[in-house]
Amino acid sequence: MRRLTAAGIAPVAVSLVLVGCSAGPEPGPGPEQAAAPVTTTGGALRAAFAGGSTETLNYLKGPTALDYVRARLVHAPLCELDPSAPEGVAYGVVEQIDVSEDLAQYTLHIRDGVTFTDGTALSAQDVLYSLRAPVLLEGLPFTRLVARSFDLDAATVTDPSTVVLPTLAPVADGRELICQSMLAIKDGTTEFTPQTPSSGPFTIAAFEPGQSTLLERNDDFYGPAPTLDEIALVSIADGTARVNALRQGQVDYVSGLSPAQAQTLEGESEVTVVTSDLPYASYQFFSMNLDVEPFADPRVREAFKLAVNREQIIENVYFGHAFEGNDVPALGFRSYDTTLEQRAYDPDRARELLADAGQEGMSVELTAGPELPGMVETATLLVEDLKAVGVDATLRELAPGQLFADYPAYLALPFKVGYSPPALFEPNYTPGTFPEVDVLVQTARSAPTAQERLEASHAAQRLLWEQGNQIAPVFVPAISAASTAVGGVRELQFPDLSQATVTR
Amino acid sequence: MRVDVWITARVVTAAATLAVLTVIVFWATEVLPGDAVGVLSGPTATDAEREAVRLALGLDRPALERYLEWIGGALRGDLGTSLVSGREVAPLVGARLSTSLAVLVPAVLLIVTLAGTLGTAAGLRHGGRLDRWLSGTTLGLIGTPDFLIATALLVLLTAWWPVLPAVALIPPGQSLWSHPELVVLPAVALALGGFGSTMRLLRASVAQTVTTPFAEFARLNGVRGHRYVWGVVVSNALAPAVMALAVMTAGLLGGAIVVETLFNVPGMGSELTQAVAGRDVPLVQGLSLVLGTMTLLLLLVGDVAAKLLHRHAPATSGGHR
Amino acid sequence: MTARRWVLAVPVLLVLTVALAGPWVPAGSVTAPIGASFAPPTAEHPLGTDVLGRDVFARALAGGRVLVAQAVAATLLGSLVGLTVGVWAGVTHHRAVGRSLMRVVDGLAALPALLLLMLLATGMPGNDVAVAAGIAIVSAPFSVRVLHESAARLAATDYARHAEARGEGLLTRTRSDILPGLVPVALAEAGIRFVAATQLAATAGFLGLGAGAPVANWGRMVRENSTGAAMNPLPVIVPAALLVVLAVSVTVLIDRTSVSTRLAPERIERAA
Repeated sequence: MRRLTAAGIAPVAVSLVLVGCSAGPEPGPGPEQAAAPVTTTGGALRAAFAGGSTETLNYLKGPTALDYVRARLVHAPLCELDPSAPEGVAYGVVEQIDVSEDLAQYTLHIRDGVTFTDGTALSAQDVLYSLRAPVLLEGLPFTRLVARSFDLDAATVTDPSTVVLPTLAPVADGRELICQSMLAIKDGTTEFTPQTPSSGPFTIAAFEPGQSTLLERNDDFYGPAPTLDEIALVSIADGTARVNALRQGQVDYVSGLSPAQAQTLEGESEVTVVTSDLPYASYQFFSMNLDVEPFADPRVREAFKLAVNREQIIENVYFGHAFEGNDVPALGFRSYDTTLEQRAYDPDRARELLADAGQEGMSVELTAGPELPGMVETATLLVEDLKAVGVDATLRELAPGQLFADYPAYLALPFKVGYSPPALFEPNYTPGTFPEVDVLVQTARSAPTAQERLEASHAAQRLLWEQGNQIAPVFVPAISAASTAVGGVRELQFPDLSQATVTR
Repeated sequence: MRVDVWITARVVTAAATLAVLTVIVFWATEVLPGDAVGVLSGPTATDAEREAVRLALGLDRPALERYLEWIGGALRGDLGTSLVSGREVAPLVGARLSTSLAVLVPAVLLIVTLAGTLGTAAGLRHGGRLDRWLSGTTLGLIGTPDFLIATALLVLLTAWWPVLPAVALIPPGQSLWSHPELVVLPAVALALGGFGSTMRLLRASVAQTVTTPFAEFARLNGVRGHRYVWGVVVSNALAPAVMALAVMTAGLLGGAIVVETLFNVPGMGSELTQAVAGRDVPLVQGLSLVLGTMTLLLLLVGDVAAKLLHRHAPATSGGHR
Repeated sequence: MTARRWVLAVPVLLVLTVALAGPWVPAGSVTAPIGASFAPPTAEHPLGTDVLGRDVFARALAGGRVLVAQAVAATLLGSLVGLTVGVWAGVTHHRAVGRSLMRVVDGLAALPALLLLMLLATGMPGNDVAVAAGIAIVSAPFSVRVLHESAARLAATDYARHAEARGEGLLTRTRSDILPGLVPVALAEAGIRFVAATQLAATAGFLGLGAGAPVANWGRMVRENSTGAAMNPLPVIVPAALLVVLAVSVTVLIDRTSVSTRLAPERIERAA
């Protein structure tokens, strides 16, 4: 299980519960670890996140990262993404997912012995409800990933430990969709309070939105027992204030640092800076609107991609804490085409292409907002790069939160920044721009053999690389920092603190 | 006009002003580009999902209908629910106001004490050594932006000489009022920002009173010491100073955003910033209503105090010459 | 002017010159990166580089004009409104009209300053004029109140009442009875407003409300570069110091001028 093999948790004692239950084909923990006695070292971790007063225990409606981090500790995940595992997922409450030959039906097998904090056992009915909850409880769009590809109304519980889930159309990536962010909640849950029965490694002892949450270890948790007695999740909106709190020892762990803050902290002896590994890096892109005249010409699009000095962006904006992008999404995921040639920085060729297209000296306004660390800064450098190849480029910076607030207006902008959180390419691709790519992505999701699917995906990525309307100079990882006493934090899309340790 | 009639008239106009204020704020938030649907849906939602969010938030209904519903609720003390978190606005705003006041009250007390004594002392002997020294100091304070004062305090008292916590971390279930150690830094930062201008106004007012014929007359008639300072100078200089203090306090209440951000105080200012960014119209409305009420209340108190002081101040009543 | 006041005027003129003429100095590109981020000073780039590897010297030269222009415009506008409305409402014998005018001003003051600035900045992103107008709207009610209070006090003095009883016109009374006493307060008030306006403009930049990237602005520079202060503090210290020197020296100058006026009680006596 990735949860156990993740770096940094070697000294963590492993619960025996999990060992016999590793039904998945991925390698389980070694025999020495399995023989180790269950010990808990205890301790308390104080972790700070951006949070804010919009904090809510209803993670389906919570727009901030902190809401999901907390929910992930309170409610056990059905399963999780694990790009290194053969099936691409690590199992949890669901111990196995079988896919039918025709890719039209998924069978979920529920683990035995999982209980809620009210003492009841978790059943297939609870899992089915958990899958339906984002729609039933009017969750935010990003929680509804499963509903986009599966027919949840037609899903059935065939026996107390099996859920059968038909797809809307054949898909091969259903496991990843189910495992992206689904948590197990009890059938019939409609509101989330500290008393709501839960199944995760921690329970909520106190909750004050916009201030802090106090979590206590759930000793009845089915999985690997946490070593911590308590976790305090603190809400500190300002990045500088978070860093100050860490420096002064008011908290042990801070999430969501800016690259420059990370660079400053890196020199300090009491602090470790951690950057999330691939594939957990956000896809930051600059989108050229094909309905706007100059961008209809593929030569202009290529010129723009060639004009960008990616290395300078990585060094000057991210101080090396970023991954070079190649203008296609999902870097680090399994279907990512690593054979594509890395786009060069070639301002001369860019100038030639613009001249060929008759667009020397064209004017363009790039719209950007601070939605991701370094986003406005990257846009600033991109505008400079474009000016250097003779484009009359300007930047329009929006206030925080404004970029996506008016979505129709956003879509109509000629040239704008955007991002998507780390996710698979195929199910998250928005069709409608390139018909040829649409067909290939459809094949990549539904062709009968893995080989055919991978080839179609690569062909789609190559087309996007050649003609696409997105410039992706960098993938942006999450940066966090912790005191040297802290270990065992997994930097995924959101940090996972369930196996964290504190040595004092 | 009798004072009680005058005060009643002021309260009525204040209520009318508040009503107008809610319309302005609602309209202004409404015409801003974008809405909570876009904010909550993010960049990856489909159109159908966006529509579902719009319906769930009730934003498909006309703005006028939503305003009337809101103002109807507000009259009964119900400020609606936040669009972003789904929580009730009234208790949320109450908690934020309480936190803001926990920092503001000590800060204002500090300002009153410092500005009152130093301003009077400097004004009585304007041009003297104390006055010159204080002038320099206050001008330096006034000239330094709040964020620099706060940052300097942070560096000084948390990094170099770590005696106070850098960030206000309030344990769940408790309020800032029970944690004076967390209040000290933000309150001092706030006080240093507001102290300069208040002291200078009081000093100017005192200095001017000293030069009035009435004060000269009093001096020539042998009024000295405490009787001179309190009975002659301060009582005459107090009216504009009280007014200035009221205005400054009102400004600090909603304008402490920088201090609240840097010290992580979950008060009105930081909440308002987030609410505007999230297009959370009911929350923006609720916060503006409370801020507006507090401001008008403070101005009213300032006016009443100034009027009462006027009645007792002999200098301007004209009967002493 | 005394020699002493000339000494005080030097830093104001210096900073104002840097602010107003700075953008004309050919110090290289303000927006293009010239090296690594937060690089220390070199002979070629005496202040090093900023958060994106741009020349701090060039940006510091370019970043003051907008700020000073915003502050001056907002102060002039605010003081003008304050003086006109405040004095008229304090002196006029249309007491009812004056009172209702003050109520309107109260209403404006009740509008939270921060909210107003944020709404303007969100509605018109990157618009410097909007920020200046916002600052003026925010500060005008306070000017009006302070000046109205002083004017009303002066209008209630015996000599002013005698003048009114003699049937002198509003303008005459204002010129001879009110203004001489009001000038020091008005000047002190304008000084405070100017400093407050500089601060608000800088704070707007600090909070990201002012003009957007890649524009250089002293307030914005402080915010942009504060995270890298441990690597190269100059991009924070230099604009902050310029802001402070400007604000402090302007206030000192105005303060000295107003003290000398106030120390001439014979003018008030003569008016009486």
